[in-house]
Amino acid sequence: MISLSHEQKQNIGFTYVMDQLEPASSYGREALRNLRPAASGEEVELELDNINKTLIGLTEQVKIYTRIEQLFRSVKNIRGSISRCGGEALGEVDLFEIKRFLLQLCEIAPLFSKINTKAHYHGIAISELNGALELLDPEGNRVATFYISGRYSPALTAIRNEKLQVEQQIRTLSVGEENKALLNQRSELAAREQAEEDAIRFRLSRELRPYAEAMIRNADAIGRLDLTLQKAKLAVRYGACHPIISENGMRFVEMTNPQLAYQLMERGNNFTPLTMELRQGATVITGANMGGKSVALKTVALNVQLVHYCFYVFAQEATCEFFDSMHIISEDLEAADRGLSSFGGEIVRLQEVLQEMDKGFAFVLMDEFARGTNPEEGAAIARGVVAYLNSRNCVALLSTHYEGVAELAGTHYQVIGLERMNPDVLEEEIANIPTKNRVARIAQYMDYGLVLVNENQKPPRDALNICRLLGLDDEIMYLIKNG
Amino acid sequence: MTHLTHLQRLSTEKTLCDLIRGYNSLSIIGMCKNAGKTTVLNAILRDTTIAEHTLALTSIGRDGEAMDLVTGTKKPGIYVRKGSLIATAERLLRQCDITKEILFTTGIATPLGEVVVLRARSDGSVQLAGPSMVTQLVELSHRLRELGAEKVVIDGAAGRKTLCSRRLAEATVLCTGASCGRSMDTVVEETAHVCRLLGTKEVDNPFLAEAVMLMENHRYLLFGQEPILLAAGTDLQEALKEHGDSRYLYVEGAVTNQLLDPLLRSGALTRGIKVVARDASRLFLSPDALRRLHVRKWELRVLECIHLAAIAVNPYSAYGYNFDSTEFLRTMTDAVTVPVVNVEDKGDDVL
Repeated sequence: MISLSHEQKQNIGFTYVMDQLEPASSYGREALRNLRPAASGEEVELELDNINKTLIGLTEQVKIYTRIEQLFRSVKNIRGSISRCGGEALGEVDLFEIKRFLLQLCEIAPLFSKINTKAHYHGIAISELNGALELLDPEGNRVATFYISGRYSPALTAIRNEKLQVEQQIRTLSVGEENKALLNQRSELAAREQAEEDAIRFRLSRELRPYAEAMIRNADAIGRLDLTLQKAKLAVRYGACHPIISENGMRFVEMTNPQLAYQLMERGNNFTPLTMELRQGATVITGANMGGKSVALKTVALNVQLVHYCFYVFAQEATCEFFDSMHIISEDLEAADRGLSSFGGEIVRLQEVLQEMDKGFAFVLMDEFARGTNPEEGAAIARGVVAYLNSRNCVALLSTHYEGVAELAGTHYQVIGLERMNPDVLEEEIANIPTKNRVARIAQYMDYGLVLVNENQKPPRDALNICRLLGLDDEIMYLIKNG
Repeated sequence: MTHLTHLQRLSTEKTLCDLIRGYNSLSIIGMCKNAGKTTVLNAILRDTTIAEHTLALTSIGRDGEAMDLVTGTKKPGIYVRKGSLIATAERLLRQCDITKEILFTTGIATPLGEVVVLRARSDGSVQLAGPSMVTQLVELSHRLRELGAEKVVIDGAAGRKTLCSRRLAEATVLCTGASCGRSMDTVVEETAHVCRLLGTKEVDNPFLAEAVMLMENHRYLLFGQEPILLAAGTDLQEALKEHGDSRYLYVEGAVTNQLLDPLLRSGALTRGIKVVARDASRLFLSPDALRRLHVRKWELRVLECIHLAAIAVNPYSAYGYNFDSTEFLRTMTDAVTVPVVNVEDKGDDVL
């Protein structure tokens, strides 16, 4: 399964991104609700190409696109009415909705054709259904209201004329007994009118049946174009890029995550864009204790997930492989609801993931695997997992603060953290800040960027620095340093 | 207000339609089921001067069924003229025997399907089931006007729960009759009491309405020099003592005997205060409580008042007994300050 769980989608910011989309039509909203990952890399490429065509269209034919979006706003979901065609007699409201939809197609289709002569969208076609419209508009006045016209049947016209005469007589009478007979006569005529209307509705329902499939196709196409349009607008808003689907490694340049960026912004901080390459086998991220690693993992997860849902990605440049499955193992997501300790939960989850991985090419993310157990064994487990993943048909990205893990990975990234800061300057800087506010201030000095680490480099040692900056008791600091 | 004697009023007697002709929107509410709302509605629909205008009809909740769903009694149908606009629920369309033109679907859901707006392309009877929320009705009325309606008539449900404030309808007709009780005196008394509550005046301080907007989950608002927001469960007696300069007590939700009685009994509060509710449908006070308020020189106010244009009385009940028509009209006229009109609904008038 490439699709993540609901909690994971929320956690990595996928849900946040989806919530930014506001399809104009009810079919677009339906398409968004039913959004599924693509089945193949080719499908992703076709859909990304549709987004690209839309982006070009939004600059070259913006007025037409805007008009189409406006028209989409009044498109209502009438799948229920369409599905009833050919069955029982359609109700007047069904017929009204279908007629309105057909009239909307008459407005949308010519505009679509204008954009499509340039764009040549894959799998999207919107066309007028004049035959169906003529059935529902026998007078041809193209008004978006519906009534069972006398044109459908001379018998209906005759009944209505007769009824009208009775109604006119009723109008001239005052209240009293004498109009009982007229009222009964009217009721009888109204019943005949209704029977005749029922027969016409039944006929219309059968005659519309052959158009039902085309109506559904148009409804789907509206949903798809609408969603594509929203994806394109999202890409513009965030400066997202068209990812290249490759079979040979992944590369993300200046990658961001809108949800995390928003959260940071609210606290007055900026998101540091991340650049990284991933190859088959395991890649490890190490870094200081105060965040950065999880942010990197979530950002990669979000963008890889977006590629599989055929979205542009939040990066300057992106090359991504197409995976058969995607897995995240993270202690805070392996909820205690399974009744296991966090460590137990991780191991059970790992076993599940390993079985899933056999089914194809997998993308695996692990946030501080085995952090909940003792450091010696934890590090050994993490090393074992990295070595194992190196040999499997997968791309894996792991974060860890254990030593001796990164060396086993194909690639090693490090969160820069406080490394480029002069600790003395920083210490002076925060000396006057109350202890409880220092965490936030240190976070501001953290460099969350990633650097590629070569084999001989030492893993970062920021933990003691942070203890000192946070004003940890001198006596404890002394004991820590001197064992 | 000058109090007319019974004779004076009879001499200036107007028909129901005379009383409501000038309004562009009207709601009809009933003291009880079978009080004659539909008869009133039909009388309005038959009026030739009113019929010159394009009428739009809808209701709060459901009304107009041939048989009353609750009591199982026969009910008169609503007979509309060609050209009228009707907003009703989709599943009632088959029970409307007008020639129908569907104009638009509102997206408002009811237990009987979506509310649909149609134009009557012939005279005929209709059944109404409209939105149940006031905000939806306000928006629907707006759409009906856009579609050409000149007068909007809203058939309210029985009881005051779905009262139509002026936000919704310029004027209201209250229907009452023999169906509301076996004793004429009781029906008159109860109607007169409801009339007094419905006649509650709008609050005269615009700043109070602004202060009310500050309320979130609060239940009370004391308003004097500045607004004091209070949560549900607050000891109002204490709060009123503490903020002795308060001139208004706004209550979000129901204003009941139980709420006011302890305050009225408390000797500490000597100054008169205005008790304010959102609208008259929130006032659940007994005649006794009203009297006590009056004695203490406290006043009752609402944020949104209604304009009661007339009381329509129906001496015939749906349960086999009737009141004396002249007597009923006379005692009712004496008991209230609003014009009273007689609507004789024997239950067999299908028009």
